[in-house]
Amino acid sequence: MTALVRSELLKVRTIRSWWAYLIVIVAFTGLAVAAQIGSTDGGDRGTVDFQSDLVETAGIALLLAIILGITIMTTEFRFGTVTPTFLVAPARELVIAAKAIAAAVLAIGFALLALLVVAVVALPWLASVGAETHLLDGEIGTGAAQQILSVVLWALMGVAIGAVVQSQVAALVGTLVWIFLGETLLIGLFGLLDIDGAAAYLPFQALDAADGSGGGELLSYWPGVAVSLGWIALLGAVGVARTRRRDIT
Amino acid sequence: MIEVASLSKRFGKTQAVSDLSFRVEPGTITGFLGPNGAGKSTTLRSVLGLVHPDAGGATVLGVPYRELDRPLHRVGAVLEASEVHPGRSGRNHLRVLAAAAGIPRSRVEEVLALVELSTAAKRRVKGYSLGMRQRLGLATALLGDPEVLVLDEPANGLDPAGVRWLRDLLRSLAAEGRTILVSSHVLAEVAQTVDRVVIIHRGALVQQASIAEVLAGAQGATRVRSPDAQRLRELIAAQGGTVTDVDDRTFATDLPPERIGKVAAANGIVLHELTVERATLEEVFLELTAGETTQ
Ligand SMILES: Nc1ncnc2c1ncn2[C@@H]1O[C@H](COP(=O)(O)OP(=O)(O)OP(=O)(O)O)[C@@H](O)[C@H]1O
Ligand SMILES: [Mg+2]
Repeated sequence: MTALVRSELLKVRTIRSWWAYLIVIVAFTGLAVAAQIGSTDGGDRGTVDFQSDLVETAGIALLLAIILGITIMTTEFRFGTVTPTFLVAPARELVIAAKAIAAAVLAIGFALLALLVVAVVALPWLASVGAETHLLDGEIGTGAAQQILSVVLWALMGVAIGAVVQSQVAALVGTLVWIFLGETLLIGLFGLLDIDGAAAYLPFQALDAADGSGGGELLSYWPGVAVSLGWIALLGAVGVARTRRRDIT
Repeated sequence: MIEVASLSKRFGKTQAVSDLSFRVEPGTITGFLGPNGAGKSTTLRSVLGLVHPDAGGATVLGVPYRELDRPLHRVGAVLEASEVHPGRSGRNHLRVLAAAAGIPRSRVEEVLALVELSTAAKRRVKGYSLGMRQRLGLATALLGDPEVLVLDEPANGLDPAGVRWLRDLLRSLAAEGRTILVSSHVLAEVAQTVDRVVIIHRGALVQQASIAEVLAGAQGATRVRSPDAQRLRELIAAQGGTVTDVDDRTFATDLPPERIGKVAAANGIVLHELTVERATLEEVFLELTAGETTQ
């Protein structure tokens, strides 16, 4: 299993798009932090609330993590590399498990990188304007830990979606459309049907609750994590079944 | 070594393989032949556990492929030259698979040298020629130093020098005692390399035999050239031979050369040429797989 995980990590690192992930995380997080600090007046900058929000600017890593998860799974089908992969490891469910672990490891890396960028931009800036910093406080530390776990959940969701859909373009486009349009429409529909409460259990509403930032209609933190894991397990099981049955031609 | 038993596989309306059985004996090179669409790739992929047969099955080294422990060390396979991520270098492609199989990096360099790809190894596969991709595929198959090799059209895209190189490589691999199953749709490509052939057509077995047996099945004709061809033709026809004219002085007949020499001597006819024409391998092959409707 460790050999398979190492192989999966090597697969990601040996193609150039790897750098694109890192560059996008650094650039977007850097811009988001700078914009947030730059657009706020002096006094507020020293508050814990404001600095908690700063930690959330690391959220771009979520989107990249799900893209990575989908890509890790679907690239193999796109380029046919799934043939040599399954020749080395005929137990296909182990390959998917190795991909999930590799995606989780990389997601932790993404989250840490984004948090590092937040710290590198925010700490000197806040110090230079004389604002008291709470970035190492317990509350903010918890927020950062929740942020890391949530990036991992998004990556795992990506792997599960990739295993179900298998076509790279369909999986990527479908997921983005679902996140930005599909769930919004469903929430509206649930409203019409008078089952508003069900909306919180939709996969990306649950994932939203699991980043710890909270929100009106969302589940609270731990139920959010649990429902997210439920969706990942469900899609993952369907994906494993589909992949095992598939003829690799 | 490799045993295919009553294998059947259908894709939608296409019966790709139907009730196919054959054996590949240890230590031999077996050619797996059939025209395009005959079901070669489907069969090989079933042998390797990539395709699920509808009925029947296959074993390698006595067990289904999926049950092999450390399969890359037992069976090496090249299925299609294109099954590589174009953005990855040849060396990294091998390293990725070596990592998964627990094979040391030094072995990657060894197989790169073996297939003469060391200098191109750091380039991305996107820029490889078809021949280079085939070599990379062979390197992949050899990574685990396996005792069985399954190669699907490895000569595809190789130039004549490359085909000869492949032939020599396969011979030396077989000389080390490995078992090789190599598919092709061109009999001549493998005829000089293989010990036995398995010929399939429309998913079903046509013949399983040694190369010598296949050739023996070929009908020979005798080519005769003589300044007195007209008279000789009549004499041969009188002996019950069939005659096909080539030109004024040359014709072909189904009588053996001994009979023709005797007739000519007895009648004082001068001969300028008397040769036996063997049907070529391709003719035999086309005959065996006649009636192909391309799909
Ligand atoms: N995934 C698939 N879906 C549908 N039909 C398929 C699939 N794979 C193979 N076939 C069909 O099965 C038949 C056998 O194909 P196969 O690739 O095994 O032939 P082949 O002998 O390898 O041919 P070639 O010499 O062209 O490589 C063909 O009619 C092909 O169209
Ligand atoms: Mg084929």
